[in-house]
Amino acid sequence: MNKIEALKNERQNIIKEYSNKKIPDTYLDKLSKSINNIQYVKIKEIIEETKDTKSFILTPDEEKSTYKLEPFKAGQYISLKMFIDDAYVTRAYSLSSSPKKSLNEYRITIKRVENGLVSNIMLDEVKVGDGLTISKPIGGFGYNKIRDEKNVIAIAGGSGITPFMSMAYAIYDGIDDYNLTIIYSVRTEADIIFKKEIETLNKKCKKVNILVTLTREEKEGYLTGHITKSMIEPYIKEFNTIFMCGPKEIYKTMNEILAEFNIPKKSVHFENFSIEYTPNMIETYDLKVILKNDFIITKCKSDETLLVSMEKAGIKAPSMCRVGTCGYCRSILLDGKIKMVGSSLKKAEAENDYFHPCVAYPESDIVIRLDI
Amino acid sequence: MIYDYLIIGAGLGGLSAGLNLVSKNKKTVILEKNSLPGGMTTTFKRGRFEFDTSLYDIYDYGTKDNIGTFQKLLKRFDLNLDTTVIPFNALVLDNENFNFEVKGNFEDFIFNIENVKKGSLPGLKEFIKITKEVHEALRIIENNQEPNEEEYPNFYKYLDKTTLDTLKDLKIPLVSIYILSYTWVDLGINLSKLNFIDFAEYIYKLIFKKDVILNTKSLSFTLKLVKKYQSGGGKIYYNSEVVNVTKKDNLFLVKTKDNLEYKAKNIIGDIFKRYFFKDLYTLEMKDVNKLENARSLSPNGIIVFLGLNKSCEELGLKNYKYYHYNTLNSDACIKTMNDLYHDTYEVVVPNVYNKEASPKNTTIVILKKTYYGDALNALDKTNYETLKTDIAQDLITKFENHFNIDIEEYIEEIEIATPLTILKYSGSVNGSLYGYSKKGYDASIHRLISYESEQIEGISFVGSSSVFGSNADNSFHSGIYVTDKLLNKGGSKNE
Repeated sequence: MNKIEALKNERQNIIKEYSNKKIPDTYLDKLSKSINNIQYVKIKEIIEETKDTKSFILTPDEEKSTYKLEPFKAGQYISLKMFIDDAYVTRAYSLSSSPKKSLNEYRITIKRVENGLVSNIMLDEVKVGDGLTISKPIGGFGYNKIRDEKNVIAIAGGSGITPFMSMAYAIYDGIDDYNLTIIYSVRTEADIIFKKEIETLNKKCKKVNILVTLTREEKEGYLTGHITKSMIEPYIKEFNTIFMCGPKEIYKTMNEILAEFNIPKKSVHFENFSIEYTPNMIETYDLKVILKNDFIITKCKSDETLLVSMEKAGIKAPSMCRVGTCGYCRSILLDGKIKMVGSSLKKAEAENDYFHPCVAYPESDIVIRLDI
Repeated sequence: MIYDYLIIGAGLGGLSAGLNLVSKNKKTVILEKNSLPGGMTTTFKRGRFEFDTSLYDIYDYGTKDNIGTFQKLLKRFDLNLDTTVIPFNALVLDNENFNFEVKGNFEDFIFNIENVKKGSLPGLKEFIKITKEVHEALRIIENNQEPNEEEYPNFYKYLDKTTLDTLKDLKIPLVSIYILSYTWVDLGINLSKLNFIDFAEYIYKLIFKKDVILNTKSLSFTLKLVKKYQSGGGKIYYNSEVVNVTKKDNLFLVKTKDNLEYKAKNIIGDIFKRYFFKDLYTLEMKDVNKLENARSLSPNGIIVFLGLNKSCEELGLKNYKYYHYNTLNSDACIKTMNDLYHDTYEVVVPNVYNKEASPKNTTIVILKKTYYGDALNALDKTNYETLKTDIAQDLITKFENHFNIDIEEYIEEIEIATPLTILKYSGSVNGSLYGYSKKGYDASIHRLISYESEQIEGISFVGSSSVFGSNADNSFHSGIYVTDKLLNKGGSKNE
C-alpha cells in the first residue's frame, strides 16, 4: 500500500473510533445563543418627569420567555419596535438607568415630539403592564476606560441628558471610575428631567457633578443662559474627554468653545441625536421597494426619509439608530436620486449604490432593493 | 423555483463557488445571514476609521509575471485584486531577550538566519528546494493523480512528519528553526504538531508568490465578486439566516429565519460542517458526526482594533508587524497561552504599506492575542465588557513596554473583538480564529486526500473549514475546487 493510502486509512481509523453523537454546544456556542437580539419587556412603572417627558421602567416579560434582560454599557440605546395601525416603526432611546440593574430593569425616558408618531402613543396611550418589543442594547456612545481621560465633561441638551444619567449611575455604582461633570441645558426649571435624582447624585457621589443651566429663566441654584466657555472653564483639566448629546445647535457652539481649549478632536464624542433636514419643496414621488420574493409600490415624500415612507407602507424595514450611524438599514438604490444627511457609509458601499434609508430623502421617483 | 445549487454563506468560499457555478449556467442562490458579503473578509466603521478584519497578508496571489493560484482562479472570471507586493518587515521579541528584525526579501531573511547561527544555510536551502517539491506534488494530488515517488521523494518522506522533526532532520539548528518559523502563531499550531506539508506549502507561497496586500478595503473586493456573480445570473439574498435544512424526494428544502423557503438539488455550505449538522440539518446522517467529534479546535482570541490620531511615522511605528512571544520555542510558548494575560501577541500596522488604510495623519493598529485552551470561557454576559476591556488594556500596555512605542494616548477609536464577535459575524466554530485545528490526521494534506471518500451526497462544504484550511486564498480556492469536482462528476480532471 502506498503512503497516501496509508495516511488516508490512518485518518479513517481514528475517526471511526469516535462517537456519532451530535456534538454538544461549547460554552461559547451557548453564550452566543443566549444573547437575545429581540427582548420582550413589560412596563413596570411610568414616571412623569416633566409636563412633556415620561420615564418607563421596563422589566422582562416572562410570559414571552424573556427572563433576564441583556446587560448594557452606560451610554447605549435600545430600539423600540412597534406596530402602529398598518405601519411598523422603530425608535432609538438611550437607556437612562444604572447598568448595575440591567439584568432586571431598564429605564427609557421619552420626550413628546410634536406630531411624533411613537412619542405621543408612549406618553398618552401606553400604560403600566403593557408589553413592548425592544432590541438588545447597542451603540458605541459612552465612556471607554482605555480611550478616554479621567476628567470627563458631558454636555447635555434637553432629553440628551438620558445617556449621561446612566453614565453617572455607572460611576455611583462602582462600575466605572472617572470624574464626570455634566452640564445640562434646559429651558426652565420645570423642564428639568430627573431633577430629584440629580440632587441626590450631586450629594451622594463625589465623582459626579451635575450643573443645570436654564436658558429661558433665571433661578437661584442654577446657571443661566446657553452654555458658554466660562461655564465650562472651571472643569477643564490638562487632559479631558468631552461627550455631547442633544440638539445640533449645541454641537455647533460646543465645537467653537472646545477649539479655544485646544481639545483634540479624538477626545470629543457626540451621540447623533437627530437628523435635521428641510427640502426646498415638498414633493411626492413613487417608491418601489423590491423585496426577496415580492415588491411593493408606494409613495415617498421629499421631507420624509425613505425609511419612514417604507414604515408607513407597512414594510418591516430593518433599522436601529435612525441617524445614519449603525448601518443596520443598509439597502441598495437601484434607481432615483436621494439626498443623504450625515450617513456613515463605507467607501465601497457608496460605490456600489448602498445607502442608508434612515437618513435618505428622495429627490425623484425611487427604486430600492431591500433584502428582508 | 428549484435551484441547482444553494450556497449557505457569502464568504470567499461561497462567493467563488457561486462564481464558478453561474459561469457554467447553473441556477445558483447564495443565502447570507449578514447584510454584507465576505464572512471573515469584511470591514467595519468607527468614526472616521474603516477597519479591515482580514487580508493583511494575501498568500498565493503572486505578481503580474509570477501568477499565484489565487490570481489564476480570479482570472477565470476576469477578476483581479488591486495589490501591492510587500517585503518581509517584522520586529520579533521574546521574553528571553531574543530579538530580531526581519526585513527585505526571503533571501535576506535566510542570510540573516545564517548570520545569527553559522551553518544554517545548507539545511535552509535544502528546505526551500523541498517546499517546491511539496507544492508541485500537492497540485498533482489536487488533480486526482498520484505524485511519482521517485520524482517526489521528499514529499513522501515528510508527508506525515511534523515541521519540527523535518527541519531537525534537515540539520537546521534549533535557533534557526525558531527564527524561520517566527510566524507560527499565524498558523495556529505549534511546530511539533504542525504537519510539515502545511508549513512547506505556506513557506512556498511566501517565497515564490510573495506576500501581497490590498490597496483598497476588502469590502470593495467582495462587492466586486458579488457584482460579477450577479451579472452571470446568480442570486444572492442578505439577511437570510438559514435555520433549517431537510431533504424530500431528492430535493433540499431550506428555511430561513424570515420564514422563506428555498428548494435546491444541491447544498454547498460555506459554513462549518459542525454547525450545519448540529443546528440546521434535521435528518440523521450516518457517521457524519464522527469526524466532528474527532476534531479539535484552533485557538480563539481577542483582537483589538485601534484608530490613532497620528501618522505611523510620527508614532515611530516603522514595522508592518510586531511579534512578541513568551518564548520563540513554540512548544514551550503554547503552554503559556491559556492565561488571560499571557504575553504572546502580534501587531499589524497596515498604514506602513497602505497609505489609504486610514485618513491622513492617522494610523490603524491591530493587536491580536490567541488562546490555546478555554481561558476565554471566563467571558460571560455580565463581565463581558469589563473583561475584554481589561485584556485589551493589558495588551496595549504590554505592546508599549515591549516595543517602547506610545500608542494609548493617541487612541481615537477602539473596538475589541472576542470569540463571540467572530462567532456572530463569521460563524467560525467556537469563535476560533483558524477553524479546525490542523493537528495530526486533520492537516490540509489529510483533508485533501480524504476529500472524495468523505463526500456526502448532495452536500458539500467550502471555505476555511473545508479542504485547504484558513486564509483568503485557501477559502477562495476551496470554492472552486469543490465546484469543479461537482461540475465534473464522472469525469476526472478539470480544464
